[in-house]
Amino acid sequence: MITVKQLQHQYPGNAHYAVKDISFEVQKGEVFGFLGPSGAGKSTTQGILTGLLPLQQGEVTVAGFNIKHLKRQMFNAIGMSFEQSNVYSKMSALENLEFYAKLFDVPTKNPLELLEMVGLLDKKNQKAGTFSKGMKHRLTFARSMINNPSLWFLDEPTTGLDPAIAAEIKEVIRLQNQKDVTIFLTTHNMQIADELCHRVAFIVDGEIKLIDSPKNLKLQYGQKIVEVEFLDGLQPKRESLSTTLEKDIARIKTILDTKEILTMHTKEATLDEIFIAVTGRGLL
Amino acid sequence: MIKKIIAVFLRDLKVSLRDFIALYIILFPILFAVAINLFAPSINDTTVSVVLLSPESEQVTFFEQLATVAVVDTISDLNYRVLKRDHTIGITKEGLVAQGDEPAFLVDYAKLLNVFYLNGATIESTKAELTDIGRAIPPIKTMFVNGATMLIAVLGGMLIALNIVEEKADNTISAMHVTPISRLGYIAGKSLIGMVVPIIGSILMFYLTGFGHVDLFKMLLMLITTALISLLVGFVEGLANDDIMNAAGNMKLLFLPLLGAMAGAELLADKWQPLLYWIPFYWSYKGNQAILTGTGSWGDVLLYASIIFVISALVFVVLAPKVRKGLE
Repeated sequence: MITVKQLQHQYPGNAHYAVKDISFEVQKGEVFGFLGPSGAGKSTTQGILTGLLPLQQGEVTVAGFNIKHLKRQMFNAIGMSFEQSNVYSKMSALENLEFYAKLFDVPTKNPLELLEMVGLLDKKNQKAGTFSKGMKHRLTFARSMINNPSLWFLDEPTTGLDPAIAAEIKEVIRLQNQKDVTIFLTTHNMQIADELCHRVAFIVDGEIKLIDSPKNLKLQYGQKIVEVEFLDGLQPKRESLSTTLEKDIARIKTILDTKEILTMHTKEATLDEIFIAVTGRGLL
Repeated sequence: MIKKIIAVFLRDLKVSLRDFIALYIILFPILFAVAINLFAPSINDTTVSVVLLSPESEQVTFFEQLATVAVVDTISDLNYRVLKRDHTIGITKEGLVAQGDEPAFLVDYAKLLNVFYLNGATIESTKAELTDIGRAIPPIKTMFVNGATMLIAVLGGMLIALNIVEEKADNTISAMHVTPISRLGYIAGKSLIGMVVPIIGSILMFYLTGFGHVDLFKMLLMLITTALISLLVGFVEGLANDDIMNAAGNMKLLFLPLLGAMAGAELLADKWQPLLYWIPFYWSYKGNQAILTGTGSWGDVLLYASIIFVISALVFVVLAPKVRKGLE
């Protein structure tokens, strides 16, 4: 669905490349996470993929369209949810969606269904200018689905949302993906990437450091450790033991045979920890 | 593409009708037409008022044909009215009553009227032959309507600026870039309000001010070419400003060449007129004047419109990079 080969981008007046020779592919039906700290080159890459920034060097194909010779029809196939909400404040939520629907050449979704999906149906006639930041963000998110995109770009889709609403948004993303929609998710929120993405790319200083599935990364970089809490006589005790070292395996067996177990957990590395391990940098 | 352009135009129109400043701009032509009708004198208006005493219906009928007549009952009422109103002459059997500071022509006119009445002269008594040169609307009214037409075109540009400032404030231009509407289509959609509102407003104003008979096709050509400069400036000001008041304030600078062109065209001697040739509003004024007075041929109108178009094209060459950069 997306093919990027040796993409480079440099902003005018800046000696450094914002994006340095990156290459990757996103398969149809995949949720691809593009992860990195601020200034890493995520937005630049996404800007080029969505035609908001000009392609300077490299080859990029999006939804079957060559970005070098951008055709407006491409936008019938893609949806874009911006990190910063951008809706018409003097128009109601419904009017915003109805207006955008008129700009596409393909069958569009019912605006009322979209508003219901993001929990704004009861606010359909309220002007967007009176909305909270979270509500505006949800409206921007809903608008990006209006043209039934087969490729959906999501930029920080849960930023600024309370946990309950964020959970609903994640569910909408899962549902869309189940309908074979390809999703390009740009975020620095590792939790949402872990929950939703089939594969993630770590980008730092304009370079992709690795691309793999969260599961593989955890297996590769995670410490295989069991944390066990047990009663030693009357005293509760806790030990962290490796599941690969002979000595620790024997100790686990001893504890299981002789002690009363209170809790026992395997401990996986988080994507945050893996990101730091791989790039040597945090995400913020 | 047309469907999308119209969608952008209708969105702008809908939002403009909800905004006080924009709504005022849209309604301005009607307000201006009412003002022109109130303040521009009618061709039949007269400045001579007379006060008559102890009316004889025959006398009143005679004077009413030629002056504004007021009738009072007593000589003290007549004196009081003459004293209180400027340019009012009292007429009694003994003669005329005036304040003393009236223009001589006014007193002479009243004297003549009285003499005609006393000698039984009527309008039918004259042997003069009247040649009608066909002017039914006073020149000052034509000038007002002409100026208002150009002003309305500038206000159309202001509407564009207001709508673009709104897009910038809401950060919606980037959202438009990820839809199938092309940049040219978007610009066309945004421009439409600055073209349609002045055209409809001007035509309404023509009808309300008694110019409904003008050649609308010629006038349409002049309106469209006049609006071109305003559209360009409206785009640039909209993209350059983040605040509605700043954009509107900068747009008002266009009033300067507009009023300058009008004043120059009316007041400057022919040898100085070339100084105004660079101002598109000068040619608009001349073209509108020719159409409003019914003296302009298609050749004249096409010439004026072409000159405005060429000047606008030159301005476009200068401003286009700014517009393109602002939209990115």
